[in-house]
Amino acid sequence: MERRRFIGGSLAGGALIGGTLGMTGAPPAYAKQSNHIWFDDDPLIERDQPGRPYEGKVFAAIQPHADDIPIFAGGLAAKLIKEGYKGYLINVTNDDHAGPGTVGDTVVANEIDWYAVQKELGLEKMICLGYRNHRMEDIDIIELKARLIFLFRAWKVDTVIGYDPWGHYEENPDHYITAQAVEAACWMAGGGKDYPELSAAGIKPHGVREKYYHARGTQYINCIVDISNHIDAHIRSNMANIAQGPAGNHGARLRERLAKEGKKLPILGNNDETANYHYIKQFLMEDEKALGRKFGMEYAQAFHYIGPKKTDSYTPSMQDYIDKNTVSL
Amino acid sequence: MDRQSLFRKAALGGAGIASAFNTGPRDVHAYRADVGEVVIERDQPGKPHRGKVLLAVHAHLDDIPYYSAGTCAKLINEGYTGYLLRTSNDEKCGGGSDSENIKSNETENLKMAKVLGFSDVFDFYYRNHRMNNISSQEFRARVVFLIRALKVDTVVSFNPWGHGEENPDHWMTGRVVEEACWMSGMPNDYPEHLEAGVKPHPVRERYYFVGRRGQPFNRVVDIGSYIEQKIQSIAECKSQGGGNTGSLLRARLAKQGKKLEILGNDDATADREYVRHFLVDEYRELGKQYSLEWAEQFYYIDQRRQGKSRVDEYIEQHAVNK
Repeated sequence: MERRRFIGGSLAGGALIGGTLGMTGAPPAYAKQSNHIWFDDDPLIERDQPGRPYEGKVFAAIQPHADDIPIFAGGLAAKLIKEGYKGYLINVTNDDHAGPGTVGDTVVANEIDWYAVQKELGLEKMICLGYRNHRMEDIDIIELKARLIFLFRAWKVDTVIGYDPWGHYEENPDHYITAQAVEAACWMAGGGKDYPELSAAGIKPHGVREKYYHARGTQYINCIVDISNHIDAHIRSNMANIAQGPAGNHGARLRERLAKEGKKLPILGNNDETANYHYIKQFLMEDEKALGRKFGMEYAQAFHYIGPKKTDSYTPSMQDYIDKNTVSL
Repeated sequence: MDRQSLFRKAALGGAGIASAFNTGPRDVHAYRADVGEVVIERDQPGKPHRGKVLLAVHAHLDDIPYYSAGTCAKLINEGYTGYLLRTSNDEKCGGGSDSENIKSNETENLKMAKVLGFSDVFDFYYRNHRMNNISSQEFRARVVFLIRALKVDTVVSFNPWGHGEENPDHWMTGRVVEEACWMSGMPNDYPEHLEAGVKPHPVRERYYFVGRRGQPFNRVVDIGSYIEQKIQSIAECKSQGGGNTGSLLRARLAKQGKKLEILGNDDATADREYVRHFLVDEYRELGKQYSLEWAEQFYYIDQRRQGKSRVDEYIEQHAVNK
């Protein structure tokens, strides 16, 4: 899984650029098309909230692959759970193309990791939908949407975390197919005439109201989440991805390689767990640190947020008119 | 639905091909009854099917009424809780605009279901005559869900292997229902259903319609006690199926200064009696072949476990203490 780098992707003040791609002033090395980011001129800044203000709310974190949520949203997921959410993990593919050994070895290894990620992030449950890895452009997306609608209703999901269906230059079909199905399912889950037969099991329409979208390529960002107090959970969720991903046990493997050369890196410590943890913290958290620096945080994650916390709805002006102009009968 | 006469000679039913799955009378699973032997299913006293669930699946308003209304009424009267699933929206049948047809067929489907005693009705509303273009995966997923949620034991629907079926809605419905019947018992298919407490549940018995001339059947059901319900269910099919032909005929004759005594003095009587006299002859003719007054025919599949398996019997006879 390749991560996106934010280092070259911002302007002072985060100005939204009209219709123009690219960031003026960005170093040429980072001015690649796939790394262009539009920052909203007034992004939502989400810091830690005291207490458990989200008690009773439910989120679903949807990933095509075992390492997507850990890489892009592990910190956010941990933060929301600490603040009261109940969280569920949906792994859409069977990950049969990314991992060690044969295809059979790979699916077993990734399955172990799905449950490990669930545990590290404190998620309630993990469900795997089993679509074949790297082949999702061949599925019936309407069936995937139907299954997601079922889960959104059965769990009463309020908030979704997943890939942005409008993230440009996404080369992995599993990502954009999943994202399209999620987006459609979010609003359709609230429709009474969509899959009314679910009522046979007492499942009622329930629309998803908030979405935190992440992306690998060009994306519109309007939400910065402070994950400084959740970096430990974020790192540990990435450590859980041993079968695939840039994290996992790469630290232990580096320590072992250096040892064979008669060397060591002090940050990797004296055991595998320490090596893996600090490998991730030292080498894989650059984006989170860079983004955090821009917004006065130690670590941050960026999202395209859609929901009531950030809306340009015209409804307030309608209410404003009503308030000003209503008269007695 | 375009109807063809279902009249066929009994010899056709006797010329069946021995099923490769029928390993003899002691086979406890009896997967596929030999199509050459026709079993007569008669009225059963009491409520022998109490606690069991029936799902009747049709593509169009008038499918169940013509192909199996008597049998559905019989099974429900004998104790089944019955549910009806209509898979298309019938937009192409009714004489009005597509929207008007959707509405009229929807309304009449509910009325027809009530006549036959169904407890509830589900509609999938796939576009009429276009069901060979839909996602069979999604369609099947929905049927699997319903089978599990309702805990369906027995299904009545189209034979997916029935030759000569020109209507894609029919064979698509039949195919998907057949797949869903066994898949609904598999725990690794749609495991997320457990999140709503909906558990795997296989369908054990199937009654497949004889939809077109020449399709196989191995079961003839005596519907003599249920013919009035069948007639009335057809009479409810006014958007399609001829259910309002009687009243239309009465009106036409009246304009000519004529009347037919059998059509009575009101529309409901005219519709019902027209059905009785002109639209159900083949069920009477089928019945005659089996010394019944009225009958419907099916290709019946019984996958219930019958007694002990051979392994269990062998263990009983040969196991010894260690």
